[in-house]
Amino acid sequence: MDNLLFWIVPASSIIALFFAYYFYHQMMGESEGTDDMKRIAYHVRCGAIAYLKQQYKIVLCVFIVITALFAWLSYGLHVQNNWVWFAFLTGGFFSGLAGFFGMKTATAASSRAAYAANQSLDHGLRVAFRSGAVMGLVVVGLGLLDISLWFITLNYFVDSATESEKLILITTTMLTFGMGASLQALFARVGGGIFTKAADVGADLVGKVEAGIPEDDPRNPATIADNVGDNVGDVAGMGADLYESYCGSILATAALGAAAFANTDKQLEAVLAPMLIASVGTILSILGIFAVRVKEGAGMRQLMGALSKGVNISGVLIVVLSYFILNMLELPNALGIWGAIIVGLITGIFIGKATEYYTSHAYKPTQRIADQAKTGPATVIISGMGEGMNSVCAPVLAVVVGTILAYGFASGSWSFEASSMGMGLYGIGIAAVGMLSTLGITLATDAYGPIADNAGGNAEMSGLPPEVRRRTDALDALGNTTAATGKGFAIGSAALTALALLASYVEELKIGLHHQNQDSIIVAGQSIPLNQANLVDFMTAYQVHLMNPKVLLGVFIGAMMAFFFCGLTMNAVGRAAGKMVDEVRRQFKKMPGIMEGTEEPDYARCVQISTMAAQQEMLIPALIAVMTPVLIGLLLGVPGVMGLLAGALAAGFALAVFMANSGGAWDNAKKFIEEGHMGGKGSDAHKAAVIGDTVGDPFKDTSGPSLNILIKLMTMVSIVTAGVTISYSIL
Amino acid sequence: MNYPVMKTYIYLSLIPEGLVASHLSPFEFGNYLAVGTKKRSRGQAIFFEIERFDSDFFQWDEIEQHCVPHSDGRAKRSAYLGIYRVLEHVPLDALKSLYLVTDDGRVLELKASEFQPANFQQHHLYQELCPVTPRVVSVLDPSEFCKSITDRSKAVSVNKMAFCELTLNKLSRDPDSDDIGDLPYPNIGHLRDCLRELEDKSGKNNKQVDRGLNSEILYRTVKNGFFVGDCEGMKYYPMPSQEQLEREYYTWWRSALTTFGQ
Repeated sequence: MDNLLFWIVPASSIIALFFAYYFYHQMMGESEGTDDMKRIAYHVRCGAIAYLKQQYKIVLCVFIVITALFAWLSYGLHVQNNWVWFAFLTGGFFSGLAGFFGMKTATAASSRAAYAANQSLDHGLRVAFRSGAVMGLVVVGLGLLDISLWFITLNYFVDSATESEKLILITTTMLTFGMGASLQALFARVGGGIFTKAADVGADLVGKVEAGIPEDDPRNPATIADNVGDNVGDVAGMGADLYESYCGSILATAALGAAAFANTDKQLEAVLAPMLIASVGTILSILGIFAVRVKEGAGMRQLMGALSKGVNISGVLIVVLSYFILNMLELPNALGIWGAIIVGLITGIFIGKATEYYTSHAYKPTQRIADQAKTGPATVIISGMGEGMNSVCAPVLAVVVGTILAYGFASGSWSFEASSMGMGLYGIGIAAVGMLSTLGITLATDAYGPIADNAGGNAEMSGLPPEVRRRTDALDALGNTTAATGKGFAIGSAALTALALLASYVEELKIGLHHQNQDSIIVAGQSIPLNQANLVDFMTAYQVHLMNPKVLLGVFIGAMMAFFFCGLTMNAVGRAAGKMVDEVRRQFKKMPGIMEGTEEPDYARCVQISTMAAQQEMLIPALIAVMTPVLIGLLLGVPGVMGLLAGALAAGFALAVFMANSGGAWDNAKKFIEEGHMGGKGSDAHKAAVIGDTVGDPFKDTSGPSLNILIKLMTMVSIVTAGVTISYSIL
Repeated sequence: MNYPVMKTYIYLSLIPEGLVASHLSPFEFGNYLAVGTKKRSRGQAIFFEIERFDSDFFQWDEIEQHCVPHSDGRAKRSAYLGIYRVLEHVPLDALKSLYLVTDDGRVLELKASEFQPANFQQHHLYQELCPVTPRVVSVLDPSEFCKSITDRSKAVSVNKMAFCELTLNKLSRDPDSDDIGDLPYPNIGHLRDCLRELEDKSGKNNKQVDRGLNSEILYRTVKNGFFVGDCEGMKYYPMPSQEQLEREYYTWWRSALTTFGQ
């Protein structure tokens, strides 16, 4: 390797994985508690593993088919890079592995966190948070490992006329492993989302409403499935989602860097910069994780402060150290690129805060929804949708402003001319990397949520003393807030990553043209060599402009896809929840001892029902997401695909924010009422808010978060099949 | 046929009113009332365990006839001895513990205690439980209210009454207070009107808020406890504080909070 700084990347990945193991080992050394606690944790663990096994079986079948297809496109039709099939497989494998480790840790951690809370709040927080950190560090560790291995391998095998072309080929090839990660993430998010909400809604509708038994009551047959679902959706799903965003942002930026700095002596440095920033961010995340601790008797503010302290330490240090990294790499306009990194970080923080503002009941929007509950469920729904729609403004404007600033800082020009476009797009990519650079700790705060939630459930079901339940409740409440902000962060980072990927798509077109043995494109009647053609040349050559109906058609279909995908996943939750309701009713009917507490419900059966429903229901949305860019590419060509991606990104981003925030706000409006406002528990306002919360469940936990991945997956599929689009498009 | 010897309990159910003999202990009986034998139903219940007493009204010999174990040896769950004007014929001394049952069959036992009325003026909200079930606001404290409502010289009265006092929070002092906090009652505006009427019309002690109990009682709204009495005396069954319920009776308390009542 020409630049020895590269070795920081594999080294930091190994350090991240070491600390992930260290935290895992530390957590496993904690007591699992009483026999009851062990029994409950065992059920959840078995359910989670059974779900993952089933999911991986189906995903494996899909991966085999797609891999075979890619191999045929590469070796049979010669329209695709020969590494694509293998890259696709490794991306899927590492993403799945991250989800598996995260889930294994989370399900082992809940009872231990509950038991640790028996000793002190700080101990409970540390066990839960550091278990969440396992997920965060596994994701970044495996991501960086995957990137390192690919970079080393391709550097060894890829041969090209010039070093510059070689780097472009390597980075665009590496980009394709993102599709494997995306597809795995889609299955994890959609499947997990359907699983968790089927179990949750089923448990609530029969358990609470029909049988009158409280939440997390061991007599409810669906309660274990509900706990499994928290892990499946928010640990494995969120982990796979952010794994893809993390790798996608680094690889897209590397590809954009290779293109922007082509034929210069700083090309390698431009490629390494996003990898190094992410690597240093990983080490800083570990430092931040060690900084998280609280004193006994801490309230919500102190708990939130403890987590924020860890995140803030990592964030401030990455700002400082990235400046030195860029200067060490001696990149041109290093200060501007550094500015783009800061913009990315600030955009991420702003989106998180905006999400908190719109979903936490400490603020007016959620309180307004709670107030509307006094007049019934209809006004709760109207108000929740209204606030959710309003909430779209802040993150979208943040991304707009962030994108402009990142572009301007990195390009060193605010004129948006073709000559500086490459640098500007590189700036957008590096802003996404900046946002995700400390993913190790931000994902730890996300994964902490379901662990704390399950710890609370375990404490409840095993009848721990009130002071322990108070502690686990405090940890759980904190987890609810971090889960909501985590979703906002995931959506925001996905939008920025998708923007970078969109630009990378054009780089893939060049590779596709190479495979067709074309070495130039025709722009305004003039032949321009591929290695000299810039982005604007490609846009002109393929007529990617708004007056081209193919672009507009693509935009329409892209926007439609976001809604269609949501519709499919929402209906899937409805059907799956229906099956769960039938099963819970059946068990109450056939097993009267359940209600007396003398007979244990068949928890495994409920887990199985949710698992099977999730697997059946996730397949069609996933296949539609994969097939659409290919079909649009075949039908409308490059302009259609660009329109599709732009439409899906614009509509999907806004819709995802709306759904996630509406759902979060409905949930917290209900909690606000339960805390003693508007009549409190059992009041008419509470009943209305419960309906709002039930409607919001698939919004925030199934459809909303799945849209991130839809956007990224469609972009990834377009990137991977760029060669097919160029070779076989009809119009 | 030789039946196994089983202890027979006698219960006075308040909702609906009934005198029931059973082989089930109070906690088993409460669970049975709430969720039934097949565990498919659900519903709140409130009942007293009572001692047998001399009475010409009840036909005690029916216990021996009807409250017998099933032929397969299973306990007899319920044998009704009366369903009409039961409470008025049960002397206060015969009342033992009061049991509050949640929707899903969790049972809390309350024991009788001395009642100490508050020594400051405030409005009260009473939920009458048996024999009639209106919800009433009153300026009278529970003992005065009990005497007033069981004063047979008045046209509107009953022989004996079981009721509980519900919390009014700030409305007990100020019907116009904006802060209703966790008061779950429907139509708060009407409740305020009724409270204002007590303030406005001198001499009016009680005002009906609701004609009947439309749904279940939210146990969390029970202010100080349950009362049963007549013009000669009253028994008081204090409700544990919320802290005590959470600490000592958590399972019951959690179940009670799940109820969607009024």
